[in-house]
Amino acid sequence: MGQSDRDTGPSRRRVLIGLGAGVAGAFAQEAAADAPMVNDAPHGDAQTAAQSVPFHGPHQAGITTPRPAAGIMVAFDLAITGPEDLDRMLRLLTERAEFLTQGGPVPERDPRLPPADSGLLGPVVAPDNQTITVALGDALFERFDWLRPLKPAHLQRMVQFPNDALVAGQCHGDMTIQFCANLQDTNIHALRDIMKNLSEFLVIRWMQQGDVPPVPPAPDGSTPSARNFFGFRDGSANPDSNDAALMDRIVWVGAEEPAWARGGSYQAVRLIRNFVERWDRTPLGEQERDFGRRKMSGAPLDGGPHATERDVPDYARDPEGKITPLDAHIRLANPRRPETEKNLILRRAFNYSNGVTKNGQLDQGLLFICYQADLDAGFIAVQNRLNGEKMEEYLKPFGGGYFFALPGVAGPGDYLGSGLIAAARSL
Amino acid sequence: MVAFHLKTTALALAFAAGMATQGMAAEPTLDLVGPLSEYKLYVAENTAQLVTDTEAFVAAIKAGDVEKAKSLFAPTRMSYERIEPIAELFSDLDGAIDARADDYEKAEADEAFTGFHRIEYALWVESSTDPVQGYADQLLTDVKALDARINELTFPPEVVVGGAAALMEEVAATKISGEEDRYSRTDLWDFDANFAGSEKIYDLLKPLIAEKDPAFVTKTDANFKAVDDVLAKYRKDGGYVSYVELTDADRTVLSTRVNTLAEDLSTLRGMLGLN
Ligand code: HEM
Repeated sequence: MGQSDRDTGPSRRRVLIGLGAGVAGAFAQEAAADAPMVNDAPHGDAQTAAQSVPFHGPHQAGITTPRPAAGIMVAFDLAITGPEDLDRMLRLLTERAEFLTQGGPVPERDPRLPPADSGLLGPVVAPDNQTITVALGDALFERFDWLRPLKPAHLQRMVQFPNDALVAGQCHGDMTIQFCANLQDTNIHALRDIMKNLSEFLVIRWMQQGDVPPVPPAPDGSTPSARNFFGFRDGSANPDSNDAALMDRIVWVGAEEPAWARGGSYQAVRLIRNFVERWDRTPLGEQERDFGRRKMSGAPLDGGPHATERDVPDYARDPEGKITPLDAHIRLANPRRPETEKNLILRRAFNYSNGVTKNGQLDQGLLFICYQADLDAGFIAVQNRLNGEKMEEYLKPFGGGYFFALPGVAGPGDYLGSGLIAAARSL
Repeated sequence: MVAFHLKTTALALAFAAGMATQGMAAEPTLDLVGPLSEYKLYVAENTAQLVTDTEAFVAAIKAGDVEKAKSLFAPTRMSYERIEPIAELFSDLDGAIDARADDYEKAEADEAFTGFHRIEYALWVESSTDPVQGYADQLLTDVKALDARINELTFPPEVVVGGAAALMEEVAATKISGEEDRYSRTDLWDFDANFAGSEKIYDLLKPLIAEKDPAFVTKTDANFKAVDDVLAKYRKDGGYVSYVELTDADRTVLSTRVNTLAEDLSTLRGMLGLN
């Protein structure tokens, strides 16, 4: 159903009712017809549906662009044998991604054939802030002689950290696609489109869907961070993604990488279960000490009663951790010392809820995603500092992997990974 | 020969008029009569084979010969799996013959769980033919009934043409994970039969599409061949090794080919003007 169908729905109803009731009763009937009906669709927003993120540029969208409410991370295994296959796949993927992120009418076919599109978004695909971010895994580079020499310098297979309980089927993969959009249906539409059009190349290995709850603006007009499933604001101290120079330093890879990779970024994905029942039975003070922040405001613990989540903690004045414990999550993750500047990462996580475990507990957690210019100095260094943190009692990482998000598509005619293909062909 | 065939038919005219492209379907054609009757023969051969093989399989069970019955399990099923799109038209028999434990709330313990997979469970897990004496008799009765009913059936063209894709959907949705023959691990035999059944339909229809859409034929031929190349690695003594030996890489190849075949073959009905 398109926008126009939705618009004509109530008026058509009005006309029909009007015909039945006669002129005298028509006015009252009309009022009744305007009252919401049980099966009226929840009101969408034409303005947010029309939002689109530019597809072309030096970097892929979906990394430093604002994180919309819905995300899906999908890892694929690829059935390719040589550079020609990879080339065909990447070109086709680029074509689909460009259409899906920019929107447009879906082609019509003879009704005796399966339709070209799933139809989830109607005859005209609205961009709805869709981004499609493609990253390649260590497994892919390692499998082929013609790719191995081109592997980004820090790309590696994710290994088990002490608190992990990795599930083989939920780890690694040849490629990930991160889908982000205002509505989860938009992501699902894109995923189904890509699976349909690229079925000869890819099989899903694992996937995880997640959400960010929309948050109303604060009284001062600023946008507060959304809460994760521990009830804490998540993202407060994230580096400023509008600071291009900062992003060049901490997110986008540079000269130390193979030329084809410049403008790309390392993607670390972790599927981290949260033991929420246990967390909800933990005293508030302990919860706040575990994170190093106030639960309601998100402010650092060393702030006063009016402190906000944007305030910066001053650990130098608290060397023994009397206010912010030395093993608090934020203090371990970012000790804020000059020598830990190089460990900054850009986090872009989603909350997930997967139903219930065999034990009758809620299966909820964080689809943790972060981007960095150097995987070793970024995610791996930060996670190594976090090993043994207090919060581990409430966390169980069980999946994910390390990938390399390809550089952007420069413009029409270019395609995702074109530099990699050219490099592979000239080896 | 293909060209001559096309020249003499209404479909050729439709093709000439450019109607049988991916975007626009052709009108239904009398040309299907030939492939349909050939397919009917193919199915009849398979159901006859199924009856013969099931007789031997059931005899082994009645004789309490677990090992013999095990050796006959996978080959007996093949003729059924080749013609599954037709067998499925009789949902009562299909359920009785080929349902899996997870089709029932109480799984293996469910009284309604009968047929090949109930017997498979007895042979590989219970290691005994005792619990399935009655089920074995019933299987033979059901298989004979299926044979009789199919022989009387007028094959709906859309079911036959759609069957090529339907078999791939089966594999994609319920078999690639290795859940079909979970006790015996003989899944690769089923794969072989499903692919053979699908390819048979495709081969019979190929002359009707070869000229108009050579790219379709080239791609589909290549995909069937890719499947066969993978399966060939696992053939042994006229059959197949255990499904657990299938490598992840080969499973990925099979899975992508199955999905692409399902995707492409799903256009066959429209290409041939069927609704
Ligand atoms: C389920 C698991 C996790 C939860 C619930 C969680 C939650 C939080 C929260 C509430 C904050 C404070 C607000 C903010 O700055 O965003 C935070 C900060 C942070 N987290 Fe996590 N986090 C988790 C896992 C991780 C992992 C795996 C890493 C990286 C290895 C990480 C790295 C960081 C960093 C770098 C900060 C910012 C610290 C700062 O600059 O002050 N977190 N996290």
